[in-house]
Amino acid sequence: MAAVDTAAPRARGKHKKKHKMKRRLGIRIDMTPMVDVAFLLLTFFMLTTAFSKPQSMEINLPPSETKVEVAESNLLTLRVMEDNSIYWNMGIEAPQKIELRDLRKFLTNKNQENPKLITLVKVDRKSKYNTMVSVLDEINLADVRRFSLAPLLDQDRKEVAKAAG
Amino acid sequence: MPKFKKGRVGIKIDMTPMVDVAFLLLTFFMLTTQFKPIEEVEIVLPSSHSPIKLPESDVAIITVSKGGGIYMSVDQQNLRVRLFGEDAKLKASVPVQISELKNLLVLARITNPKLRFVIKGDREGEYGPVMDVMDIFEQTKISRFNLITDLESD
Repeated sequence: MAAVDTAAPRARGKHKKKHKMKRRLGIRIDMTPMVDVAFLLLTFFMLTTAFSKPQSMEINLPPSETKVEVAESNLLTLRVMEDNSIYWNMGIEAPQKIELRDLRKFLTNKNQENPKLITLVKVDRKSKYNTMVSVLDEINLADVRRFSLAPLLDQDRKEVAKAAG
Repeated sequence: MPKFKKGRVGIKIDMTPMVDVAFLLLTFFMLTTQFKPIEEVEIVLPSSHSPIKLPESDVAIITVSKGGGIYMSVDQQNLRVRLFGEDAKLKASVPVQISELKNLLVLARITNPKLRFVIKGDREGEYGPVMDVMDIFEQTKISRFNLITDLESD
């Protein structure tokens, strides 16, 4: 049987004496309520604790006053359109479409070809925030240090529309 | 009914180690816990590969919700009182208008020059409101800020 005999052995020692030894008094406190409360608190703290600090992406934008003249051959423009499609062009060339998954390789290549390259990212107001974050992420992954953000103007929309046909 | 009732068998399991562990965990969680700030709006974060962690303190979070609403939250209580008045002392984040954001940012920066500004945008939200916030950052000469993202692994 599985019963556990918890009573202390009555007689211990080498010689048995005739008179009864006083039994050791086991004081038992019912710990159950305390343990219950402890577990309750434990679950509470486990659920409410905010363990990991969220990740973040750092952006350094050049101050608005500084104007930098950039040679057209060194300027790569990325345009994110309303429908979250991405177009690129060098200088004043016509924009060409590119998929997000190809962007990293493309940027790495371009920057190897021309180390002086400056990337300008123009994002449409109506595009999704997620697309912008993804594009910036790809830029960071391609190790492009010099980039800037600019709003997408009507002129850009026209150019892309013209190029897309 | 059987004639002899079987004596009820009391199974006793020694719970002590479990309780010990439970208390250990309890103390651990009690000491390390930092309460999750109550969110005014639910934000689904975009994901990126950036491994940079958000600083522990001195952050001002500008939340841009899916619908384009802007909320600002700062982690220090005295700064919060300074910016939004006594009522906002215990509020996690305060809805702000884009027009008043500029003054708030300037005031926040004067009060605590170490403050880092962070944008927390919803992945499904439009870029427009975020762009407005970044414009204001630019106007107030905050050229370095962070975007909160989830870590994406591939």
